[in-house]
Amino acid sequence: MNEENVKDFSTEGGEALLFSIDDTVYGIEIKYINEIISIEDITVVPKVPDYIKGVINLRGKIVPIISVRRRFGKEEIPYDERTCIIVLEFDDGNFVGIIVDRVREVTIVKPEEICLPPDCKKVNANKYIKNIIESDGEIKQLLNCEKLISDI
Amino acid sequence: MAKFEAGMENMVDMYIFETTSLLEQLDQILMKTENESSFGSEDINEIFRTMHTIKGSSSMMGLENMSHLAHAVEDMFFIIREDNPEITDKKTLFDLVFTASDLLKTEIELLQEDEYTPTDFSGHMSKIEAYAKALKDGEGAAPAAVQTKTASAEAAAPAGKTIKVISNSGDSMTTVKIYFEDDCKMENLRALLVVNNIKSECAALTYEPADIEDNPDSAKAIIDNGFVIHFRPAADATQDAVIDIIGNSLNVKSYEVTDAADSGTKEVPLASLSEAKVTFVEDCKMENLRALMVVNNIRESCELLAFSPEDIENDPATAQAIIDNGFTVYFKAAEDQAIVDMIKATPNVKDAVLVRKGGEAPVADKKAPEKAAEAAAPAPKAEEKPAAAKAAEPKDAKKAAPAVSGGAKQSLISVNLNKLDQLLDIVGEIVITEAMVTSSPDLKVKGLKLDNFQKAARQLRKLNSELQETVMSIRMVPLSGAFNKMTRIVRDMKVKLNKDVDLVFEGEETEVDKSIIDNLNDPLMHMVRNSMDHGIEDTSEERIAKGKPAKGKITLSAYNSSGEVIICVTDDGQGINPEKVLDKAEKNGMLTKPRSEYTDKEIFNMIMLPGFSTNEEVTEYSGRGVGMDVVKKNIEKTGGTVSVDSKWGEGTQFTIKIPLSLSIVDGMEISVGQSIFTIPIGVIKESFKIKPNQLLKDTNGSEMVMIRGECYPLIRLYDVFDLKPSSTDINDGIIILVEVESEGKSACLLADELIGEQQVVVKPFSPMLNNFNVKENGMAGCSILGDGSITIILDIGNIISDF
Repeated sequence: MNEENVKDFSTEGGEALLFSIDDTVYGIEIKYINEIISIEDITVVPKVPDYIKGVINLRGKIVPIISVRRRFGKEEIPYDERTCIIVLEFDDGNFVGIIVDRVREVTIVKPEEICLPPDCKKVNANKYIKNIIESDGEIKQLLNCEKLISDI
Repeated sequence: MAKFEAGMENMVDMYIFETTSLLEQLDQILMKTENESSFGSEDINEIFRTMHTIKGSSSMMGLENMSHLAHAVEDMFFIIREDNPEITDKKTLFDLVFTASDLLKTEIELLQEDEYTPTDFSGHMSKIEAYAKALKDGEGAAPAAVQTKTASAEAAAPAGKTIKVISNSGDSMTTVKIYFEDDCKMENLRALLVVNNIKSECAALTYEPADIEDNPDSAKAIIDNGFVIHFRPAADATQDAVIDIIGNSLNVKSYEVTDAADSGTKEVPLASLSEAKVTFVEDCKMENLRALMVVNNIRESCELLAFSPEDIENDPATAQAIIDNGFTVYFKAAEDQAIVDMIKATPNVKDAVLVRKGGEAPVADKKAPEKAAEAAAPAPKAEEKPAAAKAAEPKDAKKAAPAVSGGAKQSLISVNLNKLDQLLDIVGEIVITEAMVTSSPDLKVKGLKLDNFQKAARQLRKLNSELQETVMSIRMVPLSGAFNKMTRIVRDMKVKLNKDVDLVFEGEETEVDKSIIDNLNDPLMHMVRNSMDHGIEDTSEERIAKGKPAKGKITLSAYNSSGEVIICVTDDGQGINPEKVLDKAEKNGMLTKPRSEYTDKEIFNMIMLPGFSTNEEVTEYSGRGVGMDVVKKNIEKTGGTVSVDSKWGEGTQFTIKIPLSLSIVDGMEISVGQSIFTIPIGVIKESFKIKPNQLLKDTNGSEMVMIRGECYPLIRLYDVFDLKPSSTDINDGIIILVEVESEGKSACLLADELIGEQQVVVKPFSPMLNNFNVKENGMAGCSILGDGSITIILDIGNIISDF
């Protein structure tokens, strides 16, 4: 992570990768994105929660794979040719892959398009949503990647 | 490391490495001497040398604060070495040095952080200086060579350095010419820095060029002609102290003392001094240092003393000059001949001839061998001195060694750990690639003749495993280093907690992978602290009442067992009270089943859960409730496990089990349903198909297998891992008998099929997965197979212990 990326997305905006699950559009800050790969054979790791699908071999690296659908409590759907694994890289050098229905595009988010989710108990209780983005007449939810993988 | 210029990183690394190991050595010496509660002269010299080196390298790195602190300690030991005072208050002395060593260590750690600001050590330094002064005053009349430092003279240099001329009288000014490092830029400002450094030590000070502050062009003049300083030292400083500051200033490449006072021409005409020519035994090496010994020997017996070449202490090149032209000593003494005799008594001196007596015409020189023969008895004063001079020699010899004995063979090198890691990674890749080549599907074509290929492949495999072993052995480090650090902790806590404890090592020569050792230090420290703080009884009376020896005992032991290293921290203290642990766990809401169902082992292992601490009070050393779970985390990071065993009233034992090496294991691949697992070959005793009469069930329905008169539990792997097996019929599967030596447990595993033996490179699970206790669930790590698929390596010990 170089220094330019350290600036706060919530206030300054930046690039985000958009993907969708069912009809909901989610975004991830571009600094987390390592690469996007098509779905491949996943080695099952026993005795872990069901949203952890297992591990894959990404050019010699062992990367655990999370199903975002299961993580958000949705039913699995069969994988098709649009199903992707987005490989995220974190500041501490760890890689985690997330399975999403389809990847849409990389978009530039302007600061004025960003707002914070409401701060109350029931809504967004697990704090997975970091920001709400409204642009092009569409609402997108920016995910908090650290929370997504650590808050278990 | 923002403090250092680019390009210095290598030096900083080196500096940190060297200084850290020096400080560790220092700690060891201190421990030893403290135990013996007396300083041998070797120890004093060793400490002196260590501090001297740290001082030198710190000031080279521009770390003035560290340099000064090391210097203060060095000074103190100089006094101890030279004056040999009666040390009455040893405890304070040890504390002072230990604290100094700690301060330096912390500073080095700080140094590795990005935001580094030098710590001010002056508080501790003045303590040391006060102690040194007390030492010296206790000694009474001290040689002129030793100057006590006051706190104000912080930057002062070692007073013990050779006094080049003790004819430093009255108004004469000393002249020093300084050259700065090439390309250091802004020489005029560097010069100004030097001037500022020495200002406080000088009674009078002029320099040329004089306009360094305002005129940038003076930099050019300094480059061309050097920077010349004329000074007269202040009353409380010596000329040498000032020169030393100059020498230690940043970016100073070299300096020469072209000194009016030095040669004594103004005050003491050269002619008034006696002149002796000294020659050394041929091939004695390092003539300059031998000469220094001569000077040290006679220094105190001479009223005035000068010598040529002058810079013998710092410039190894003078050795050659001495060989070529001899070493000349100018002196004024009551008995010229006594001095010459003293010179002759110095080791390695071949001959010394009085060339000329002070104020007289030269005596017939170089024709006095008979005189040498006459000079039998060495001067009485010289008797003690050579020992000190000799001891001082290695220190200087070390400094001069690169120049003098450049041809010497070195059989040890230090290597950056990153490079070793890289090497290991590459070896890992090679192992995988080899498997890819030899199991390539292209070879499966029918009718291929592969005899030559197979032969070559076998050879390749053999070489690869040799390569692997070699790389592993490079990375192996004995545990003694990690153990020795504990001595220090125990020592400090002994004093703080006022408990008398022996620390005993067993098997400290056991070797483990370097990366594991690095992760072991913290856990070991926590465990030892725990044993000291909570384990050992508060008073020896308490111990005696229990029928134990008054002195507590903590044992650190290590040994190898079937591919694992077992490390135990054992104390003979009060042990863990299971009831207390349960109470506490209940209070914290950590119990998951009724109290009565907990086994002792489960209870003891609870103390390693996050947020658990049996001690109500938070002490400096332990009891914050973070200690033991951190231990567990750190050990698991290395792929190891930790367990606690204790007997209330008798003691506690922590057992750490770590894999010998993190990386490559021989494994047997087995399949269970769709999954492929790897079992380390080391634990497999045999594998077989079962006969119906071998299987039996107990009253609960748990299965057992009889083999040759012994009965083992049967573990169905698909049950353990909640997998769908291809068949649940025990006759379809294969039984693998495994034995975990360290736990003395055996069991039979049921798998679907044996696939084959393969070497696998262990890759740890991602930290995210570690959150789910994969390790406790029997998975040690994963590995990539030749075809790119992933296999999970089983931790048989954990699987069995759950049964």
